[in-house]
Amino acid sequence: MSTAEITDERVARATSGPILGMVLFVASEAMFFATFFGAYFTIRAASPAWPPKGIPHLEIGIATVLTVILVSSSFVLQQGVRAIRRGDGRGLQAWLAGTLGLGISFLGLQLYDYSQLGFGLKDGIFGTLFYVMTSLHMAHVFGGVVFLGLVFTQARTGQLSRSRHESLEAGAIYWHFVDVVWVGLYTVFYLLTPR
Amino acid sequence: MGSSPLPVTRTRIARLAAASALLLLTGCAKEGISPQGQEVHRLFVIIMILAAPVFLGVEAVLIWCIVRYRKRDDDPAPQTVGGSRSLVVFFAIPAVIIAVLFPFGEATLMNIERRETPQVQIKVEGFQWEWTFLYLNEGLFVAGKTLVRPAVMVLPVDEPVQIQLVSRDVIHSFFVPDLLFKRDAIPGRTTTFTFTPTKLGTFHGQCAEFCGLWHSRMTFDVKVVAPLDYQAWIKQQRKKAQGITCEPQGTTLSLIAHNISWNQFCLAVPANTPFTVDITNQDVGIQHNFSIYDSFFEKKKYFTSPRITGPDSETLNANPLPPGHYYFQCDVHGPAMSGAFIVK
Amino acid sequence: MAVTQAPTRELTPEPRGRLLVWLTTTDHKKIGILYLVNSFSFFTVGGIFALLMRTELARPGQQLIGAHAYNELFTIHGTLMIFLVIFPILAGLGNYFVPLQIGALDMAFPRINALSFWLLPVGGLTILSGFLAKGGAAACGWTCYAPLNEQLGTGVDLWLAGLILVGTASILGAINFIVTILRMRAPGMTMMRLPVFVWGILATSLLVILATPVFTAGLIMLFADRRLGTSFFDPAHGGVALLWQNVFWFFGHPEVYMLILGAWGVVTEILSVFSGRPIFSYRGVVLSFLMITALSFTVWAHHMFATGAVELPFFSITTELISIPTGVLFFVWLGTLWKGKLRFEVPMLFALGFIALFLIGGIDGVWAASPAMDFAIHDTYWVVAHLHYVLFGGTLFGIMAGMYYWFPKMSGRMLSRKLGQWHFWLQFIGFNVTFFPMHILGLRGMPRRIADYAPDRGWSFLNLVSTIGAFLIAISLLIFFANVLTTLRKPRSAPADPWRANTLEWATSSPPPPHNFDALPAIHSGRPVYDARVAEAGPTDRGSR
Repeated sequence: MSTAEITDERVARATSGPILGMVLFVASEAMFFATFFGAYFTIRAASPAWPPKGIPHLEIGIATVLTVILVSSSFVLQQGVRAIRRGDGRGLQAWLAGTLGLGISFLGLQLYDYSQLGFGLKDGIFGTLFYVMTSLHMAHVFGGVVFLGLVFTQARTGQLSRSRHESLEAGAIYWHFVDVVWVGLYTVFYLLTPR
Repeated sequence: MGSSPLPVTRTRIARLAAASALLLLTGCAKEGISPQGQEVHRLFVIIMILAAPVFLGVEAVLIWCIVRYRKRDDDPAPQTVGGSRSLVVFFAIPAVIIAVLFPFGEATLMNIERRETPQVQIKVEGFQWEWTFLYLNEGLFVAGKTLVRPAVMVLPVDEPVQIQLVSRDVIHSFFVPDLLFKRDAIPGRTTTFTFTPTKLGTFHGQCAEFCGLWHSRMTFDVKVVAPLDYQAWIKQQRKKAQGITCEPQGTTLSLIAHNISWNQFCLAVPANTPFTVDITNQDVGIQHNFSIYDSFFEKKKYFTSPRITGPDSETLNANPLPPGHYYFQCDVHGPAMSGAFIVK
Repeated sequence: MAVTQAPTRELTPEPRGRLLVWLTTTDHKKIGILYLVNSFSFFTVGGIFALLMRTELARPGQQLIGAHAYNELFTIHGTLMIFLVIFPILAGLGNYFVPLQIGALDMAFPRINALSFWLLPVGGLTILSGFLAKGGAAACGWTCYAPLNEQLGTGVDLWLAGLILVGTASILGAINFIVTILRMRAPGMTMMRLPVFVWGILATSLLVILATPVFTAGLIMLFADRRLGTSFFDPAHGGVALLWQNVFWFFGHPEVYMLILGAWGVVTEILSVFSGRPIFSYRGVVLSFLMITALSFTVWAHHMFATGAVELPFFSITTELISIPTGVLFFVWLGTLWKGKLRFEVPMLFALGFIALFLIGGIDGVWAASPAMDFAIHDTYWVVAHLHYVLFGGTLFGIMAGMYYWFPKMSGRMLSRKLGQWHFWLQFIGFNVTFFPMHILGLRGMPRRIADYAPDRGWSFLNLVSTIGAFLIAISLLIFFANVLTTLRKPRSAPADPWRANTLEWATSSPPPPHNFDALPAIHSGRPVYDARVAEAGPTDRGSR
């Protein structure tokens, strides 16, 4: 085997490195969030009442809108991934812009929701779980917005192509993960909490 | 490249050392002063019987290889490797040992967890850094004082004892080596277990879950006595408690907390009159408060103050109380910091 | 076959000035050495703390150190040894040797690799800075249980911040290792030809990815309880005190395997090299590593038997099950030695010592696996004996084996054999004198983490014996450091393959050039350097291989 063939083979195998890296990173983040969900169920099982006394009824309206925003942002982003896989750089930019817009809307609307809730971080165990888990999630959405923003800049300056768009693929994996975590939070805090 | 020489006598020394180690280890496990403890001692021996051949066997093969297979010539060693059959054997041998061990362990566990009908029921409270033993049926308590006096749990021999264990602050652990048993004392969660002491004597106990500054001094004693002596002791403790009495001297009380103790064990106020209590907490960094209950059973709370962290002082205003014999305590430390509250 | 540069990565020209080179390097070999220097520095700090504790405990009565200071010492000793010494030494050896052993140019992400390293001294110093804080350094034990962990001063905040940094570093490092091992192997280096050390690092990295984030989450919960008014662990406000222990040990048990898998890999390789035999069952080793990795997530509550709040039979059986693949490893090691031609070079002494001592550590854990027995020995010096037999008698002996084995490759010089033998025997004897008596102390009821004990407990004599052993260990380590420092002054003279070893790192010069290999041998088995040596020797030559 000639040197060129060896190095080419290694390059071909090495290009999926960053994506594998992102998958592993997402795995570690999944365990990170799983710990909080574990804490939630442990504490809930040990509590005499759920939600605890004094916590106002959680309105499902805004939370449902948030869920729609984030879930649709995943579909929008995936359209962008499909676009660049076809070589459509302009299409990618449009879909990415859409994703970023939805992501930023999510953050803004969640902050508004916080102001309407009627209980705070220090209001006992429910406040603890709700605010810590959702704000850590928000931090991850923010991180995703920053990452995809950088990918957007790469797209705009023509650095992404049909054969080379690893940063987007990696970013998409991360974004979908953040979406799934939100669905988990929505389920646990809004769907599984008795009225 | 040469190698360092290893004399054969090392094999013998190693074997001797191993044998004496085993003898030592078996001899060092406590016998146990209760049937539960004796069960655990038996389990210790059973595990030793399973472990010793493994230990001696592996060390012997190791030493054998060191002695027998030292490189003495330039011939290559056989390049054979083990196949699937070896692997199956390698997995099977420890699996068999575990299969034998597990049932013995389970049987012992079931024996020691068997609940008996307790004659004596004691609520054990751990706090930083001593113990309080509340004798629930006899209506009295014994408290230890950190760094000064360990709490002593007096028990009648051959009677089952039920312990209800809880912590008032951080996690502690109730450990009596001679019982070959410990259980963690957890805040917010009472754990129950029983044992029957079958030997007379005084046995050491100590907190076994690190709990802060004086963890090393959070000791107690278990004193197992004849049934008659136990009854005598109960009578004596009751007399002491009832003997605490005092007269009201105005409507202002003054109380100092120092070294996790109050400076007075009896307070009195006139009946049906509001009163004030001046609390001074001299324990730096330690919280205390002041509460009044019916008794140490805490069935009814008549007054409670917020916790204050020393060094600090506070004046508390309390509502009038009808005449009676009440009980005051610091809720952080419980009966260890308590006294009689007389209203006349 | 010549492998010079992969077209996608160019070797950056080295900056001038030696300090700057070390501060800015992304070369896995230099980073590996940085890891070792950093860890041995923290090892010295942690070791001095151990000597202070042993000196205090030698006699009953508080002579040298007050209760609070003692509590700080055992906390920081444990934290440093686990997070800044043992784990990073294995990561450092991994950094240096994984790319070499798989025939790669560097790690997959060299700059992240550098970041992973530099987070370590920052994290470690943050933890140590607790000594300067009001209330002193963290004084809750390396396990720092709730609710005690919410009471203590700023030292605990610095402790948890340092650990978040260190944890992040290890997660990034684990991603790096896994991608490197899966994506950057030289042609012919299939997964089942990987050196067992690489498998050890791979398994360790899987554990880090899945378990360390759990600890990070727990530390964030602790910080929130302490400083943001939340109540995860506060029963007075609806929290659950035992939640901390469950989170901690869900991470903590895989953590202890993170601390030994790499050492198992090194030791297995060294036994093979210095017996002149192949590993008796390579498949057995790989299977055991993977089974232990998986099972390690099912045993955590065996640390909590005494709480009365966990499912005892389940965790007892899983704990006992994990001893099965561990037992397989012993059979493989003995099978490798059997009928070998043993050469007692210093790496081999430490590898053999490892087997003798890790056996004891593994076996004495079996007593604790049975809940009824554990009620008697949990939180006593029996556990201190057990953990040191596995982490010190086990991993540290394995690390020393690796250090003597790989020192020539890293530095180009051979360590003094005489000093190495003194180091080994003094450390072996000192270790047993220190830690064997602790089994007996535990059975006699001496709890852990006590600054002092009463003279009438019958613990005094064995504590004195143990302290004498500790000073023997200290002397042995001074000999090791002296060996290293004097050897580094000598000129480079080590050949590429001083040990007649098997794996790819021995196919290049000592130390390797920046691009690692001028020419890779053909890879047709798990022992490419052995194969090359045998081929060179020719079929009629009966010379030893």
